[in-house]
Amino acid sequence: MPSVSTQITWIVVGYAVLVAVLAAVSAARGSERAAWLDQMAWMLELLLVVRALAGLGPLLGDDRPDSTSTYVGYLFASVLVLPIAMRSVQGDRAAWSSGVVAVAAVAVGVLAVRLQMTA
Amino acid sequence: MTDGARSGPHQVLLALYALFTLAAGARSIVQLTTQYDDAPVAYWLSLGAAVTYALGWYAIREASAGRTGFASVMLWVELGGVVTVGTLSLVVRDWFPEPSVWSDYGIGYGFVPAVLPVAGLLWLRRQTAP
Repeated sequence: MPSVSTQITWIVVGYAVLVAVLAAVSAARGSERAAWLDQMAWMLELLLVVRALAGLGPLLGDDRPDSTSTYVGYLFASVLVLPIAMRSVQGDRAAWSSGVVAVAAVAVGVLAVRLQMTA
Repeated sequence: MTDGARSGPHQVLLALYALFTLAAGARSIVQLTTQYDDAPVAYWLSLGAAVTYALGWYAIREASAGRTGFASVMLWVELGGVVTVGTLSLVVRDWFPEPSVWSDYGIGYGFVPAVLPVAGLLWLRRQTAP
């Protein structure tokens, strides 16, 4: 049975892929960014915060990550990327703004995997 | 993104450049400070890549506002960097006991580093077309 952190990571990755695909399709279709896409992005952020909280475990326990600075970097980046991306497209509903959401979703998915790998 | 054109493909490019500035910058700083002797050339080249991405971000932002001069130089510099470092990493393996950001043309990042300047130059060409 994989650890709780591993399970949350796979939920995060799966959901990030879903958000990225829907955002990319939305951008490719040239339609305005829908409110539901924002809601999905914030839901993804919530999952990332849960993953980050679970990720504090290895820092407190005896079995520390090989490179603590790398691990902490991924931990911070995983929760900061999406809010910064959403802030950058705030008030802009044009199609390309969905492309930014897609890039951010892919990035946090990769960050979640890297976090898992460096734990 | 305050100065430039409000919406367009440059937004996606800017997001990618910001991400790669962060990724390459954080990586190189951690490696240069904690494991410098492992592969100094590779790590310094990673820092160079980070600086290139930061300048590329600025260049694209300027170009989106109509000032394309800097981007038309910077994106070629970036492409040259990826090709040069990518080739060196294959030819002079001794310099790269550990990989750099542009090693093997950015294989560690899914070759996005090789695609990015090309995408940027294609966007720039449309931007400068009459």
